[in-house]
Amino acid sequence: MNPPQAVRIDDELARFIGGEVSISVGSCDAARLPNLTRGFGCRVCDGHERIRIFVSRAQSRAVLADLATNRRIAVVFTLPATHRTVQFKGTDARVLSLADGDLECVRRYREGFVAHLAALGFGADTVAHMVGCPDDELAAIEFTPDAAFTQTPGPRAGQPLRQP
Amino acid sequence: MNTIRLDLIRESLEGTIPGIVATCSADGMPNVAYLSQTEYVDQRHIALSYQFFNTTRRNVLENPHARLIVTHPQSAERHRLLIRYLRTETAGPLFERMRAKLAGIASHTGMSGVFRLLGSDVYAVLDIERVPAAALPAAPPRRSLLAALRATTDTMAAAADLETLLTDTLAALKRHFGMGHAMVLMLDAAHEKLYTVASLGYERSGVGSEIRVGDGVIGMAARHATPIRIGHMTLDAAYGRAIRAEALDGGLAGALETEIPLPGLPESRSQLAVPVRAAGRLLGILYAESAQDLRFGYDEEDALAALAAQLGAAVLHHQHAADTHDDAAPTEPVMPAGTPVEVRRYAENDSVFLDGEYLIKGVAGTILWAMLHDYTDRGRVRFSNRELRLDPRIRLPDLSDNLEARLILLRRRLDEHDACVRLVSAGRGLLRLEVRRPLRLVEVAGPPR
Repeated sequence: MNPPQAVRIDDELARFIGGEVSISVGSCDAARLPNLTRGFGCRVCDGHERIRIFVSRAQSRAVLADLATNRRIAVVFTLPATHRTVQFKGTDARVLSLADGDLECVRRYREGFVAHLAALGFGADTVAHMVGCPDDELAAIEFTPDAAFTQTPGPRAGQPLRQP
Repeated sequence: MNTIRLDLIRESLEGTIPGIVATCSADGMPNVAYLSQTEYVDQRHIALSYQFFNTTRRNVLENPHARLIVTHPQSAERHRLLIRYLRTETAGPLFERMRAKLAGIASHTGMSGVFRLLGSDVYAVLDIERVPAAALPAAPPRRSLLAALRATTDTMAAAADLETLLTDTLAALKRHFGMGHAMVLMLDAAHEKLYTVASLGYERSGVGSEIRVGDGVIGMAARHATPIRIGHMTLDAAYGRAIRAEALDGGLAGALETEIPLPGLPESRSQLAVPVRAAGRLLGILYAESAQDLRFGYDEEDALAALAAQLGAAVLHHQHAADTHDDAAPTEPVMPAGTPVEVRRYAENDSVFLDGEYLIKGVAGTILWAMLHDYTDRGRVRFSNRELRLDPRIRLPDLSDNLEARLILLRRRLDEHDACVRLVSAGRGLLRLEVRRPLRLVEVAGPPR
């Protein structure tokens, strides 16, 4: 495994993962059974060193339980229009309540993602349901990425992200 | 134990909204990836495409469990599956089904040349959970496929001969399934090719056109005796409409055109080729296509597979039934007057030309030549299937060859050419030759020039 050294998230990358990307969150339990849920928006915080994403608690029970146990996380961001895909991993994930501005971030994300996929021909209603949940179900997950990989489909997928 | 049946969420496996997979390394680090393709194998198994050796693959080889989220393309209903890696298949029906489908997906997503199937990773499905989230109501089905299947099989059961069976089946496919572009191809096992014997919905019938076993969606379905279904137009040459180039292979460059173009939609976006089998062997392919993306789903594939099974049994029945008749009694021919038509036959590929215009070749060409010889030599106009099958001049590739289908092909080619020679049915297993102009038979030893 990579040494726990923070991956620098430059402005361009921060804009990318905070944009109209599809977000998927992976974890695993003590028996090494993987778990998986969908994320609803992302903010980069703490001087571009920490990633904060949002999930529905009801839809993510197993993932949240895993994170509480071992704090290991993998998050993939992909832009449907271009297939550009980036994966971050961390070992210090924490589950938090929403802070100021988080709900606004989730709303903006949902609008942007629905519009992005609608432009690609997907039904807006369908996409809205893919990233929907009641506000009171939302939780934040925050972690320091200590590894980042490009995962755009192709033979280079899985290689460490080239650092600027 | 699963509480949700895998067959009820197959639409979510089509990948319209890509699936997501999470795996975990031996040392307990999770990994997430998007999936190009998930394939329903059976009630307890799915397959994922293996295209690159990536972290997902490394992880499942170390630790076989994976978690999958699949999303219904309309309702957005999501299901989370716990799966366990079993094996990788790199050849055979499942692999070929997935490879063809991936070629369509690759072209659709601009990933041609990037996506190449290295293997089909087969997983056992251990658990299916519905993600607790609001979803849209499921869209009502376009039509009841079971009702369409019943109506079509009723039509098939009513057909008295092979030609009616094929024509009526295609008509029923259009009427009851809304599949307006379809064809039936029969297998010529000895020459490893398929020939079109009936079609519906094309500008030209293409009856008599050929495709090699292994070429395109149709040829692949035949080679592996498995349905092949593509939901997007593919740019992959392997699934293009490859036409047999045997004339060129045989050093006949510059030869007269003896290829009939395979019928097909210019912009075919959905294709479904289903093997027609009976008594344990492949008889041919039932093929349908559409200019619409994702026109055929798992349910349409199931329906056509069931229909093809019925078709296979019926084809086999009519083939045997047509052979049970006694030999044809001789009748007095009517010798026509007028300018003679030159019937030229090239022995090299058994091709027959009428006044310089290509008509047919191969086994059907040989059958016609033998009949015309008997006509000009002895004035014979009535023939039985049984005699033709036993005729040493015709050299049918093997006993299982579908003579009846060859005769349908020959009859249609003559009709389409408005030829001065016609073949009409004279009762079950009997044919009558109708000749409207005098014939002059010319045999050429070399290739057509």
